[in-house]
Amino acid sequence: MTRYSEDLLGRQNADGGWSYHRGGSWTEPTCYALLALATDGAGHEPEVRRGMAWLGRCQRADGGFAPRESVPESTWLTALPLLLPSTPDGIDRKKAVTWVLAQTGLESGWANRLRWWMLGLEGDSINFDGWAWYPGTAAWVGPTALSILALEKLEKRGGVADSASLRKRIDQGRGFLLARRCRDGGWNHGSTRALGYDSDSYPETTGLALLALHGVKNPAIAQGLARGERHLAASRSSIASSWLRLGLGAHGGRNQVAADAGNLVPRRDGVMETALAALTDAAQAGRNPFLA
Amino acid sequence: MKAKPDVSLDFTRRAWTKTAGMAAAGVAAGTASTLQSCARPARVASWAPVSIYRATAYSESLYDLVRRIIAEHDLNVRGKRVVLKPNLVEFDERTVINTNPKLVHAAMEAFRAAGAADVRIAEGPGHRRVTLDLAEAGGYFATVPEFESNFTDLNLDEITRVDLARPQSKLQSLYLPNTVLGCDLLVSMPKLKTHHWVGATLSMKNLFGLVPGGVYGWPKNVLHWAGIPECIADLHALFPRTFAIVDGIVAMEGNGPIQGTPRPAGVVVAGASPISVDATCCRIMGLDPRRISYLQLAAGERNLGEELIPQRGERIASVATRFAVLPSLEGLRLPV
Repeated sequence: MTRYSEDLLGRQNADGGWSYHRGGSWTEPTCYALLALATDGAGHEPEVRRGMAWLGRCQRADGGFAPRESVPESTWLTALPLLLPSTPDGIDRKKAVTWVLAQTGLESGWANRLRWWMLGLEGDSINFDGWAWYPGTAAWVGPTALSILALEKLEKRGGVADSASLRKRIDQGRGFLLARRCRDGGWNHGSTRALGYDSDSYPETTGLALLALHGVKNPAIAQGLARGERHLAASRSSIASSWLRLGLGAHGGRNQVAADAGNLVPRRDGVMETALAALTDAAQAGRNPFLA
Repeated sequence: MKAKPDVSLDFTRRAWTKTAGMAAAGVAAGTASTLQSCARPARVASWAPVSIYRATAYSESLYDLVRRIIAEHDLNVRGKRVVLKPNLVEFDERTVINTNPKLVHAAMEAFRAAGAADVRIAEGPGHRRVTLDLAEAGGYFATVPEFESNFTDLNLDEITRVDLARPQSKLQSLYLPNTVLGCDLLVSMPKLKTHHWVGATLSMKNLFGLVPGGVYGWPKNVLHWAGIPECIADLHALFPRTFAIVDGIVAMEGNGPIQGTPRPAGVVVAGASPISVDATCCRIMGLDPRRISYLQLAAGERNLGEELIPQRGERIASVATRFAVLPSLEGLRLPV
């Protein structure tokens, strides 16, 4: 058992889920903790079973997942359980996939496209269907990148009824990411320009976007990798460093500039920090849990 | 304990009756931003007082200044839980996006000295997932001793669903963080900035940071689609007794709230009514609060006239400075 798994198991809540730092369980840290435990290979069956049972209670009748057990609405988090190993666990993956495929950002809908046309606006930012954080809003980099990774994982596993729809949405999502690249080469939350002014990229979203764009051949990728390496060299954050190493590593051999551990700001690690560190280590050992 | 509410108004029924029809017509025509000045009844009553203090630097004198604010506004926080809500958005060393940590630490020390049982700093940034990275870049770790122990990330806090009684936005309810719902006094501590969509971002707009990203995402785009001015008014309605301390020492003009230019304004503005504090801040920036739609929405039928907001300390005219605004917002300026 790795030190990460030991730490994660010690942080599991009585209800089976995980919190971000302390307190009640949330879907996001629970999914990352379960994914990290799955990469450990040591089993942890009882804990994983309890975690999956908690997760199952967050799946809603429409197939989507809510951020917490007490929240009725399905949101972007639905992509995360789809990244977990496909084991019999009471989660209805088919309904979850259907929910994910049905989601698009409002800005790429016909009404907004018509509005843009009437206003004479131009640009790539409404031409691709990405994913929103919350239904009925616009698409952004974070949920789009995670949805791409989830759908691609399903595609690799096979057995999905409508594989053409799956592939189409993956391609659309990648188009969205490429269109939302900042001028400095990286990615921020998804707003590249504000009223004519260029916006700068963030480390964590640059890493995540690069991960979702693995295998893509496009001149923009080289610029993204260069920006990611600069972000990593300056990173003082565990989460940002993990996403950057995952993203750079997904493009092969570009993650040699590992963050200097001494450069990281000493903080109390939460579940996300620990789980992402475990996933990053696994990826560097040749088993990227987001892609395998 | 709650901060003192706005003073009650002596409602002028005749004036309202006379102009209600005009006001309704204005709403129907979508001209809410000009309602107050041209159609709303002139209600003769005053707001909670606003204090304007000169402060030209982020120096040690801020510690005394915030103690003065607490005393002058008669804030009794003994044994109470106080939450300080700065504005942390992004970090860019070329400009001044966030509330300066020195002022926040001064407030923390002052409220502790006033006997508060607990003083926490809490924020839920709208763009960056890792709030502590942003706080570190913004100087909070370096300025506030044991910052991490004294800070709550509102994006990831425990939450409760709260129904909106009379929403002005399309929202019917909102999840909100328990740290804020459970406190005795919320202190909104924004940076004085222009805003490229709503004209100005101040103590009321600062409440967007209460909405948990863990539910709504980064950004909290649901607030944009539900109507930004309307959501600001809705959040104000949920927390009407918020105390406001505005960092206008080095403010931001132009393409705020992120890409604007630093503008030394040399003021700290404070008061128990976010509406009257924000209206005063607008006037300091050279903007007409009666043309700021969320102030209109939140004020309702009440008049935002300068003569109805008691001022303490400096006079508006003595500290006012004409902020640069985007061309599309020139219409928000105070008449010369």
